[in-house]
This record gives sequence, structure tokens and C-alpha cells, in this order.
Amino acid sequence: MSDKRSGFARLMKSLASLKLAVIIMLGLSALIAWGTIVEARFDAEAARKLVYDTIWMEGALLMLAVSLIAVMVDRWPWKKKHAAFVLAHIGILFILFGGILTMKYGLDGQMTVEIGKSSRHVVLPMDTDLLVYASFGGANMTKLHEESVDYFRRPPTPEKPTRIRTDDGDIEFIDYKKYVLPSRKVVPTEEKAAGPGLRFQIQNPNVSVVEWLVQRQPDRPASHDFGPARIHLGTAPRQGSGHNEIWLTPLDDGRIHWTLFRRDSVKPAAAGITEEGGQVQTGWMGLELRVLRFYPKARENWDFEERPAPTPLTTSAVKLRFRDREQWILLNDTVRLFTDSTAYMVSYINRRIDLGFPVKLDEFQMIPYQGTSRAKEYKSRVQFPDQGPVEISMNEPGEYKGLTFYQASFQNDDQGRPIASVFSVNYDPGRWWKYLGSLIMSCGVVALFWMRRLYWPKPVGGG
Amino acid sequence: MKMKRWVLVAMMAVGAVFRAEAGVKTGEALRALPVQDGGRVKPYDTFAQETLNGIYGKKTYEGRDAWEIVLTWMLAPTVWADKEIFELRNKDLLSALGLDSSRRWFKGDEIFGKERFPELMQDLRARRESKEKLSPYFQDLQRLENQWFLFREMATGRLLRVLPPADGDTWIPVADLPAEAQPRFLEITQEFIARLSGVEGSPERLDRAVVAFEDFARARNPQLVPSKLHIATEIFYSDFHPFRWAYVAYLLGAVALLLFWSFNKNYFVTAAWVFILAGFLLNTVGFGLRVYLAGRPPVSNMYETVVWVAWGAVLFAMILEALYKTRLILLAGAITGWLALVVADSAPVVLDPSLQPLEAVLRSNYWLIIHVMTITISYAAFFLAFILGDVGLIYHLKNPRQHADKIRGVVNAIYRCMQIGVAFLAPGIILGGVWADYSWGRFWGWDPKETWALIVLLGYLAVLHGRLSGWIKDFGLLITAVVTFSLVIMAWYGVNFVLGAGLHSYGFGAGGVEYVGGFLFLHFLFVVYVWILHRSRAPSAR
Repeated sequence: MSDKRSGFARLMKSLASLKLAVIIMLGLSALIAWGTIVEARFDAEAARKLVYDTIWMEGALLMLAVSLIAVMVDRWPWKKKHAAFVLAHIGILFILFGGILTMKYGLDGQMTVEIGKSSRHVVLPMDTDLLVYASFGGANMTKLHEESVDYFRRPPTPEKPTRIRTDDGDIEFIDYKKYVLPSRKVVPTEEKAAGPGLRFQIQNPNVSVVEWLVQRQPDRPASHDFGPARIHLGTAPRQGSGHNEIWLTPLDDGRIHWTLFRRDSVKPAAAGITEEGGQVQTGWMGLELRVLRFYPKARENWDFEERPAPTPLTTSAVKLRFRDREQWILLNDTVRLFTDSTAYMVSYINRRIDLGFPVKLDEFQMIPYQGTSRAKEYKSRVQFPDQGPVEISMNEPGEYKGLTFYQASFQNDDQGRPIASVFSVNYDPGRWWKYLGSLIMSCGVVALFWMRRLYWPKPVGGG
Repeated sequence: MKMKRWVLVAMMAVGAVFRAEAGVKTGEALRALPVQDGGRVKPYDTFAQETLNGIYGKKTYEGRDAWEIVLTWMLAPTVWADKEIFELRNKDLLSALGLDSSRRWFKGDEIFGKERFPELMQDLRARRESKEKLSPYFQDLQRLENQWFLFREMATGRLLRVLPPADGDTWIPVADLPAEAQPRFLEITQEFIARLSGVEGSPERLDRAVVAFEDFARARNPQLVPSKLHIATEIFYSDFHPFRWAYVAYLLGAVALLLFWSFNKNYFVTAAWVFILAGFLLNTVGFGLRVYLAGRPPVSNMYETVVWVAWGAVLFAMILEALYKTRLILLAGAITGWLALVVADSAPVVLDPSLQPLEAVLRSNYWLIIHVMTITISYAAFFLAFILGDVGLIYHLKNPRQHADKIRGVVNAIYRCMQIGVAFLAPGIILGGVWADYSWGRFWGWDPKETWALIVLLGYLAVLHGRLSGWIKDFGLLITAVVTFSLVIMAWYGVNFVLGAGLHSYGFGAGGVEYVGGFLFLHFLFVVYVWILHRSRAPSAR
């Protein structure tokens, strides 16, 4: 018994050792320095997942906490001269505790709201989910499966796939790429439920654009909006919407019916039939539309260029296998899989959390510095339920139901006009522990300056 | 009492320099003409210097001031087609364009007339669309594009915005001046040309034309034009170079102290105090002028923090010197202030001295200013400890036993500096957390800048704890003062210029890595050399 106790005392003594503390501090420094290098090489997510949110980091912080506690226990009973030292160390423990609370129970996500619309979802950019819906004929979709996956840390392989069972066989996820530059590819297919795909070129002496349109659902047209002109693939309406637009409607014989509307009238300006290789004179600014390729049944797939490190244009992708066919899905994209009786919708998306209330964006403003396009300030006017409008701007967050909404950034359309505001949405239960700890620690550190001297100006002993 | 007299002498010296520099000379009123550029209204003089520097890489051209040169681009662009004014130093770009890599300046046609040039621009556009980080090659190509843009826009009168609008806040460039303003501006250009050709009485007439135009502009929309005092202050600041005078004064102070040790005359110490106080005053005045001009404490880019650190290091040195009276602390302070300001003054590409409006994230935020100032002032204390470490190691090299007292004084000062640094850095990092929490919604996010500040803190805490545990003794403290400062260099400079990633990217630039790296490397060699000598000495001689 006494042996044991002396063993414990010895352990406490060595845990409280200053030399151990120095080693822990140097180890922690080296670890987080490595994190900054990973971030420079890749990105913040990689640094999080490879360094900061790992068992190594947790171990280092745990050792730090143990050492801080041990040294305070070791100095017990505390005397007056220990005040500064105890404050500094307790402060750090409080901050660490606050950090744990934030990590376990906090929320740190992003919310994008289009101007004039509302949203109730917060996206967590570092977490991903797999979702599978099925439709057995008709428009109703049933959720079959939902699963959190962390493919960044644990990618699937053909040997160890993620498997989702369906009545028509397994959907298997067999490969993952962290950083790919995608480019869309449309290929013809035999699947009955697939929609048509069409590649067109629109040009005049000044402009030439080539784009694909793929109609994914029979009741919803696929559209391309160039601002002054719109191209739609789908069933033409009787009346135009007051824009320059052309509707391309596939016919059963493989040809295409077109309907042209002008801005000044809701009645069709012209109509006709064309086919692959054909052209239509639109009469808008001398623009000519050519049908470069047409597939009555088309499927979208992605071509990739794999990258060693991320750029703002890269994304991640998973490969799935269903009934001997393989296909890639990009992050935050949905793929349709068809069998004779069923359509499956498979999504690989960032986790979305329903806040339980909508946030409406009335207005967004970007105020530039005089005579430039450099942003000076971003401002959003939003509405929370049962409240008047609230203004949220950089450095001036808004609060609702314990959540804090910060102005993070905004999104532009092709013409550079803002179309949506991006908020960072946050709940931090550890906040006050961190603030309190900070205050205590700062007092301790400053007090240590007075109490801990190397050589006293006059010899008064101690030190 | 004595102190008071020194302060007085120092202030009088500073005042004398001021008087010599104040005021714009006859024929130079044009320099004070308010123009809009880069998101603010500034004197034409500043605009001209920045534009000339952007194209030519210098603020004067063949001995002539920028304000005389830049306007002639607009008045006689064809003359300039034959002059070598476009600076291009990137060897890869020069060879891509098939240009002589031993030259530094080129005619516009030599670069932009090359068949390869449009292809390079295409590459640049493709690179930008890929949204990948631009390599130095592409950064320089981008600069070239900007040089061409600046010159063309200046030559066509679209760059120089001289007239405030009746509505809105975008000023009207010379090319689009309304009819009632045109003759007034024409007057300026005519007298300007007359002055250049030395016509008698033209300087006075030019001044009158400028004043008339400025009054006209001011009357059009008084709110958009800064006060005359503001404009005059900016010209004074740019002419006076307070930080240049400050480092001269610091250097003289350091020299005076060295003379004291050579000749052992006390009046050299007095002189050193006077010089250093004068330098500190100039440093303060320069800082104050920037606060007035920018309307905020100037700690938003590397240049401004270097100036702030010089100020802090000298302040800490003077306080510690007053407490411990070793004279070595004062010497170290003078050297630190001199070194920091010389570096700030000599690397305008890396440390941009121009006054820029703040990025949106940084605007109107009290916590931002506080946390940056607190953290960087801790770097001042560590910088001082670093120079003290050098001083101590030099004494160690000479003879540790003979100089035991001096080394002891230095070690004590280093320990105090480290304590001061930690006492500012720890709360500073926390204030940074408060700011991040307040404006981004998170207290800590492992952003490289904040992470490296934490690494610095942990590094110095490790040293202080190592000292307590007995691992680090006096000699060890000298060494760690020098070595640990490399962490500060990394946090302060390396994150922006070496790592170049993260949310703090608004302060990012490029260049100078080889010099900073060389500086650190030489110091490591020095430390290793002294350490080997220390080990080889008999223990009794240590």
C-alpha cells in the first residue's frame, strides 16, 4: 500500500516536472507548426483533418492539461507567492475546457441565402453525408438511406466499399478522390427514364458560346440564362415571359421543335423544326443558334483532372458502382440511377442542418471604396421569424435563438451583381469559459512579470 | 532633472529639422492638387510617385521628381514611346519575351509590341481562371500587365481623376472633364509645360492656375475633397521621411555609446540619450502623422508593423535602461530601432509604405487594432532580446570571465524582455481570439497567423520554463534569445511571405525570403560558433 502511494507520488512528481512541461510545449509547437505547413500545401480542411483534429493533437493537449494540473497539485498548499502562477495555469485549463465544449456541442456552419428568398439550412463544410432516395414511378421520392461518411480520412476502396442495399442490387462506393478539376461530359444512353441532352452554340460576330443542356426531369426544363437571352430545353409554354428566349422541344422522331419569343411580346415570334447540325436565326442582336449535338436520351458524367493540391475550382468526388456500371459523383451533386421500375437518386453532400426556422434575406449591399470596385463593407438585411428586419454587416453580427449570424461573404452572378449573401452561423457553448479563462490567465501572466525575477535589483532573497 | 534637459534638447533638434522641411516651394502647388486614386483622395504628388514607382520601380526618373514626369506622359505620350521606363527584372519573363536579361528597363514597344506578348497574357488569364496561386513568374507578368495599363490609362487621361462628381463618389478623369472644367485644367497643363521649358513667371502662374482649379473642384462637391491641411500633411510626410531621420538618430546614438566605451567620457552617454530620444520622437511623430493621414492606427501591413516594432523596442530599451543602467540595453535598443527602420525603408516592394484603404474585414474594428498592436509590441520585446543576445554572445566571444558583469546585465535584460514579450503576447493572442469571435464567430480557427503567434508564445514559455527548471543557464538564455527569435520572424514575416496561406491573406506579398533566410542562417552559424567555443573552454573559464 505504501509502495503504491509512493509510486503515485513519484508519478505526480514527474508529471509536475518543469522539464516535462518544456517537452510538451515544444511537442505541441512542432505539431501545430506542421499543421500550418499542411494548410499552406493543401487547405484548411486538410490541416484540420490531418493535424488539428487528430488523436495526436488531443494527446498533446491532454498531456498539457495533466501537466498543468499536476504542477498545481504539487505546489499544494498554495501560498501567496503562488497566486500569479496558479492564475496563469488555471486560466489555461479554463480555455482548454471551453475548447472541448465548443468542439463537442458547438455549431460552426455556413448559410447561403439568395436575395429575396429564405433558407433554413446550415451547411457544415467539413462533414459529408451519403443520401439515397428512390422513386417507384411518379414524382414522390422516398428516402432509403442516410449515412455520414468521412472519405477524406477513410476513403472507400473496391475491396472495402460502402454498400447500400436496394431491391435492385447494391449501390457500392468504391473510390474517392480528394482534389479533382471536373468538366461535364454528356453521353448517350439507352435508359428509358433518362431525359434528352443537347449541345448548342450561340454566336454573332462578337459572341460565341457553346453549352450543354440536359433535361433531368420531364416536367422541368433545362435552361441557360445568358442575361439578354435564354435557351430552354423542354416543353414550350404558350406564352413567353417577356424575355428573349427560345424553347427547344424534342420530338419523337429525333428532330427538335423550336419556339422563339421576343422581349416585347408574350406571343411566339417564330417556330419551326430543326435537327442535329441545324440552325435557327433568333433575330436578337444577329445571334444564330446551332444545334451541335442531340441525344434523345442522355446521361451526365464527369471528366476529371486529378490535382495534387486543392484550388478554389477543385472538388472531391466518389465513384459508385451499380449493376456493373460505374459513375463518379462530385461533392454536393446528385446522380440518377435507373432500373426498369425504379429511379434512384444518390447524393454525396455536405451535411445540412435544419435550423427549425427560416431566415429571409431582404436586401444585400456591397459598398465599394470610392472610385473602385474594392469592397469596403458588406451589409445584409435579414428577417428572422416574428421580428423586424435586422441588419447584419461585417463585424456586426445578428443573434437569434442563441445562434449568431455573421456576414461572411457573398455570391455574384456572371455580370458581377451580388445574388446571395453568405453567413457564418455559430453556436458556441464554450465561449464564456474561454473568456473567463483568458482573463484569469492574462492577469496571471502579467503578475508573473512582477513576481518572477532573475536577479533582484537589491538582494532580497527568493526568486 | 537631467533627463528633462535631454528631452528638451532632443525636441529642439527635431523641431529644427521640421522647419527646414515644411512648406511647398513656388511652382510646386500642383503637387498638392487632390486626385482620386486607389480608393481614396490623395495629393497628386503621392499619386505621381506611386504611379512612377509602379511602372519604373523608382520614385524619381533621371533626377526629376515623379510629379514632373507623370503628367508629361499624358501631355506628350509619343516622346515617352522612346524612353526605357518599363521595369522588368524577372529573368524567366525576359527570356520568354526574348529580351536582354542584363537590362532592367525597356521601351514600351520592346515589351508590349512583341508577338509573344498576347500569348503570355493568354497564359495569365488561363492561370487566373484556374484560381490557383500565382507563381512569382505570373505575379511579375501580372505586374507587367498593370504597368502597361497604368501607362496607357495615364497617357489617355483616364487615370488622373481630378474633379469630384456632383453626385456619387467616383471622380472624373481628365479625359471626361465637363466643358466648364476643361479650360481650367488646360491652363494648368499650359503653365506646366511653360514651367518645364523655363519660361519666366510660369511657376507663379502655374501655382495660380492650380489653386484656381482646386477652388473650382472644391466648390463643386466640398465633402469629397479632403482639407488643405490633410493634403499638405501628406506632402510633408512624404518629403520629410520622419522614419529615415529616426534611424539616423538611432544610429548616431549607438555610435555615441560605442565611443563612450572607447574613450570612457560620460558626455558620450548624454549624447547617446539625446540622439535616441530624438529618434524616438521622430519615430513617434512619423507614426502620429500616419495615424492622422489614414484615420486609424497604422498596423495593417508589414511596413506599418515594422515601424511600430521599432518604436516599441526603443521604448522598452529606454525603460529597462532607466531601471538597470547597463548602457548595453540602450545600445541594443538603438540598434534594434535602427535595424527595423532601415529594413522598412529599404524594401518598398516587400514592405509597402504607401497608405492603402483597409480590406472590408478589417474596417472600423477596435479589437483588430488592439490585438495587432498588442501582439506586434511583444515582437518588439523579443526583437530587443534578440539583439541583446547578440551583444551578450559577442562579450562571451571576447572573454566571459572578464565581462561577467556585463553578461549578467544582458542576461537579466533578456529575461525581462522575454517576460514583457510574453505578458503582451499572451493577452494579444487572446484579444485576437476575441476579435475573431466578434467578427468571424469563432474564438480560435487554426489560421496560420494565429497559430504561429501561439507557437512563438509556446517557444518563449518553453525558454522561461527551461530557465526555471535549470536546463537553461545564463549562456543558454543568450543563445535562446537569438534562436527563439526565428519563431517571431516566421510568425511575423514567414506566414505571409513563406507559407502564404490562410485567412490573413490580405497582408500578403512576395520577396525578400533569401535575405531574411540569410540573416537567420548567419545568426545560427554565429550561435553555433560561440557555442562550440564555449564547450571547448575549460569549465572553470566558462
